[in-house]
Amino acid sequence: MLDALGISSTDALFTDVPKRARIGRMGIGAGKEEPEVVAEVDRLLGRNRPLSQFASFLGGRISARYAPAAVDAIVSRSEFYTAYTPYQAEASQGMLRTLFEFQSLWVEMTGLDVANASLYDGATAAGEALLFCRRLHEGSRFLVPASLPWEERSVLENYASGPGLKVESVPYDDRTGRLDLDFVRAAVGQKDVFGLLADVPNGFGHIDEGVPELKSILGDVPLVVAADPLSLSVLEAPGNYGADVVVGEGQGFGIAPSFGGPLLGLFACRKEHVRSAPGRIVGATLDADGRRAYALTLVTREQHIRRSKATSNICTNESLMALAFVVYASTVGPRGLARLQSSLAEKARTLASGLGGIEGLKAPRFDAPYLGDFTLELGRGTAEEFLDRLRRRKVLGGHPLKDPRPGAPAEPERILVGVQETSTDKDIQKYVRAAQAAIAAVGRSA
Amino acid sequence: MTFQQARWDEPSVWDLAGSPTAEAPPAIPGIPERLRRKEAVRWPELSELEVVRHYTRLSQMNFGIDTAPYPLGSCTMKYNPKVTELLARRPGAAGVHPYQPEATVQGALEVFWRLERILARVTGLPEVSLQPAAGAHGEYAAMLMVRAYFRDQGELGQRTEVLLPDTAHGTNPASATMAGFTTREIRDKDGSVDLAELRRAVSNKTACFMLTNPNTAGLFESEILEIAETVHSAGAMLYYDGANLNAILGVTHPGRMGFDVAHLNLHKTFSTPHGGGGPGAGVLAAGEKLGPYLPVPRIVKEGRKFRLDYDRPKSIGKIKTAYGNFGLDLRAYAYILSYGEEGLKHVARRAVLNSNYVASRLGKYLPRPFRPLVKHEFVLSGAPLKERGVRTLDLAKRLLDEGVHAPTVYFPALVEESLMVELPETESKRELDGYVAAFERAITDTPEHLHAAPRSLAVSRVDEVRAAREPLLSWKDLRAASAKAETP
Repeated sequence: MLDALGISSTDALFTDVPKRARIGRMGIGAGKEEPEVVAEVDRLLGRNRPLSQFASFLGGRISARYAPAAVDAIVSRSEFYTAYTPYQAEASQGMLRTLFEFQSLWVEMTGLDVANASLYDGATAAGEALLFCRRLHEGSRFLVPASLPWEERSVLENYASGPGLKVESVPYDDRTGRLDLDFVRAAVGQKDVFGLLADVPNGFGHIDEGVPELKSILGDVPLVVAADPLSLSVLEAPGNYGADVVVGEGQGFGIAPSFGGPLLGLFACRKEHVRSAPGRIVGATLDADGRRAYALTLVTREQHIRRSKATSNICTNESLMALAFVVYASTVGPRGLARLQSSLAEKARTLASGLGGIEGLKAPRFDAPYLGDFTLELGRGTAEEFLDRLRRRKVLGGHPLKDPRPGAPAEPERILVGVQETSTDKDIQKYVRAAQAAIAAVGRSA
Repeated sequence: MTFQQARWDEPSVWDLAGSPTAEAPPAIPGIPERLRRKEAVRWPELSELEVVRHYTRLSQMNFGIDTAPYPLGSCTMKYNPKVTELLARRPGAAGVHPYQPEATVQGALEVFWRLERILARVTGLPEVSLQPAAGAHGEYAAMLMVRAYFRDQGELGQRTEVLLPDTAHGTNPASATMAGFTTREIRDKDGSVDLAELRRAVSNKTACFMLTNPNTAGLFESEILEIAETVHSAGAMLYYDGANLNAILGVTHPGRMGFDVAHLNLHKTFSTPHGGGGPGAGVLAAGEKLGPYLPVPRIVKEGRKFRLDYDRPKSIGKIKTAYGNFGLDLRAYAYILSYGEEGLKHVARRAVLNSNYVASRLGKYLPRPFRPLVKHEFVLSGAPLKERGVRTLDLAKRLLDEGVHAPTVYFPALVEESLMVELPETESKRELDGYVAAFERAITDTPEHLHAAPRSLAVSRVDEVRAAREPLLSWKDLRAASAKAETP
């Protein structure tokens, strides 16, 4: 190739880089052969203690749910995972059809009309929903539950900061964790609210029975519901109680926790608002021979066409995770999903009643229904110390519900606990026994 | 033409079974009636084999790097080494939860930390965060950091404008706008930044200049040091879009070029697979001014232990759940380990050699609007095809019939009927020659054949106009459309 170009060295190809801009060595070490790479990475990964070494009760938006082997078998098809965004529709019908099926599934689950082909994760989907609401409605205040997990709140504040919008907390009832609907009513009456987000289950893991009443209070102010997809196998589709947008974290459907990424952002809205929606959307059409075919569509919303006027900057999304989501749901099936949710709820009740019987613990903390996660509150000691004691007995007892940033407002010592599909009766008993010992020890040291 | 893609007459997943169940899901104690789902989610009950066969057939109607060269410009579709897939699926990687106690995830934190340190050296910018999920996400976070910086300087009210060249990726202006800036495009001169134009445009209103180098015309911005000086002397920040870093690995880096902050795409330069659209993995790297504004948590090493550090008072906070796309970061780390310093330097040299070689050969068929020396990608103009009644789009579709992917088309917009070609270092000379031969067959074909292309794929030319005019966006829409068609 050098001969064809009439040059003797590749140095001739870099004469456009000024000398003063050149660097010497980067200083990143010599390359390794494959067995050495495997050994080195395995050595590092050996310093992790994966969930399988514990009885894990880590709840929240990221789950360690079992994925049937079929999911990874399909996700590992390199025609899917080594492809780029399906710009050339004819060469990419496989991924386009998959994304169309994924969009269809999220539409069925949410009771809305249109879903996009995915966003980065649940938190950024909520952020995009905030900006979407602002395109639909005037105002500067976006309401969220005070119980929203701090990470999501922080992401939302970032999305709000660009256009100078405010994220504002709706207080909750101390007994039930429910949103204060009078507060919402008053805020909406002040005319400056452009949207409200309610999460189901909420940040405490509980189901807020007041959520279906929100739309009648909000009127034409858009309602965003952030829903756990598994919960929608047994809970009313939010579109049926007035949600204008439904977002969610899709990781629990066939995607490994992988220390927090990749995840999967879900987004659905009503058809009349589709031109304000963020992200890629696949549409059905016909080919030149009149046969069904699929293509990326409504692209005039997007950054590569509209640039500064785009509805979002998103380019890369989570298509492969969307594939995992639809393969998972299709393998487990709607009845299987509902059975799974039902069984998690039963296990959660067993665990909560076991923990609730221990002096010094309150579980569930809130008098509200729950599906698999619930909040445990400590009467003494810190959540960190309690969880550390559990860990020493090989129990991961949940995660503290607090913002770890210095200067964050003090919170009660609460832990979000979540039972797993793989939690056995023995695991649950183990947690209860470990919790008994841990809180007793906290009492002694106090 | 011997290529033929699989063409399964495969129904949609919902047509693989009889009517979905309408029965109500089991009642869960405590859930009030009005919150109970009355009918199960409308989705088929299928056997595992039915699901596997369906998606396997769909996969066979999809191009990937493993099946053919994929020369999408600015996408750096290099081979994704299999060993990285193996490692990302290890229980010690896939089976780790982000909310586990730090003591139980020391390996994961160390992977993050090591990768950050490597990328600090690759970029010449000392402070690194792996939190962004993708490149555009990193751009957006960087613009939020610039915003926070000028707020702290008391200059936010004044510095409201972000400048970019007209060659910029669409994500750049979109990210800057989302972060609350107005954007202004600087006209190019022969595909590069027009320094005189930039000097006229910068002012005390400028917050940032966003630049890709090499740019999307495939050209290295040789006046980069003067550009940096111009931007900095106006008190503004210089932002590096790392989409095209592959071309300059080990030759130069954003730090040396004078950039204050950069994003990288691990799914481009560092070989993590793009998944048919995602996941990606973004990187933010910053110098001393913007470093304190990076998202939290940062990964710190104390003695032999690693820890998540949230004590960064100037930080913009979180931009996503957890810490980054660890599964992809691990793949990129393994890739870098295997290539090492010399390997990565070779990557850039070989990618640029491939590009110049193919550019010189394809230049015989279509004009190259800019100077001949290019970096990892190059641009052609399909404008002369119009004399034969053919467009760049037809050529792209006809290339698919050759069993190779088309280039990026109609971008950059400053070139009429543009094609942007990038064949990364992992493509052999034999593949490059094969691509050139395919290109020659395609461009010399009759206009009738070009218009009728593609004929060898699962579907023929897809009517994208119809898709946008009569949007059918889900199974629900298809049901409504067919009910309407059946109504007399």
